[in-house]
Amino acid sequence: MEFSLPAVLFAGLTIVIYLVANILYLKYRKTLLNPVLTATIAIVLILLFFNIPYNTYMAGGDWIAQLLGPAVVALAIPLYKQRDLMTANLLSIAAGIAVGVIVGMVSGVLFTKWLAFSEELVLTMLPKSLTTPVAMQVATGLGGIPSLAAVFVMTAGFAGIIFGPHFLKWLHIDSSIGRGIGLGTSAHGLGTAKAFEYGPEEASLSSLAMTLSAVIGSAIAPIVAWIFL
Amino acid sequence: MKYIIPLLQLIPIYAFYLAGEWLQLFFDLPLPGSIIGFLLLFVALLLKIYPLQWIESGSRLILAFLPLFFIPATVGVMDYGELFAGKGMWLIVIVIVSTLLAMGASGWTSQYISRFTDKKEDH
Repeated sequence: MEFSLPAVLFAGLTIVIYLVANILYLKYRKTLLNPVLTATIAIVLILLFFNIPYNTYMAGGDWIAQLLGPAVVALAIPLYKQRDLMTANLLSIAAGIAVGVIVGMVSGVLFTKWLAFSEELVLTMLPKSLTTPVAMQVATGLGGIPSLAAVFVMTAGFAGIIFGPHFLKWLHIDSSIGRGIGLGTSAHGLGTAKAFEYGPEEASLSSLAMTLSAVIGSAIAPIVAWIFL
Repeated sequence: MKYIIPLLQLIPIYAFYLAGEWLQLFFDLPLPGSIIGFLLLFVALLLKIYPLQWIESGSRLILAFLPLFFIPATVGVMDYGELFAGKGMWLIVIVIVSTLLAMGASGWTSQYISRFTDKKEDH
């Protein structure tokens, strides 16, 4: 990790833009004002405007990205506090996550194949519902492109938090277990951040779903690739 | 003290994270260190090896900023602008449709089974 003025500047820029985006979101509560989405767009536009490459930005961006790991660890606390809810619903939780992981992988692989994209892109699409570090590792293992896998993971996260709440309502999925498992299984950490807005039950079910789908997903990804390719 | 305790509690969180990273490297595990750290901490809390009150306020502090930590990775989209022009745009459509299918399937399955088992318990 290098300590330089641009690095401090880019880390600071990210934090300030996020805080402003968060204030905007808390004020208007519109889904499209999701702070991750608006902050990402604002930073991309600034970098493009000043002709700054992504790698230069990451000198500072990486300081912030480094905190994602410990934050994932901290998700164990809300999960622990909701452990009774979890043990009482063990079967429905496990079944929902397993079904969701399989549907997400198989549908992604089949659609990409039907539209005649290269095998490399099909394999990059496969792990998109898993949390970023796992998806990147799975993509590498299968012969996909890890950095593009991260882009698909983020797109899946945004799709989940932007369309997810309306979609769940439309399907009459209105219980905390349905919402939490649905968001965490399909939209990983972004879905879990969204689940915090529903309540502590949804949040811990979603973080559980994110974790278990990472574990289940990395195990079944090679099998899905083997069957459908 | 109000601010010092949550900040100090970030240390054990980071220690569990490092332990996960270390285990991942040492045993060459297919899971990322953060997920292993998460499982370690969860088991430590369940077995009462590590008390909840020594980590709870720290976790509340770091989780309040969870969305911020995703932003540097999401900005990476800027390097793929060309791929998504033209036919590549369908990849975005595929991700969206497939994500919603996965969400619907998992949410519906969990909700259906939990209602079914709840009803059975009522009789």
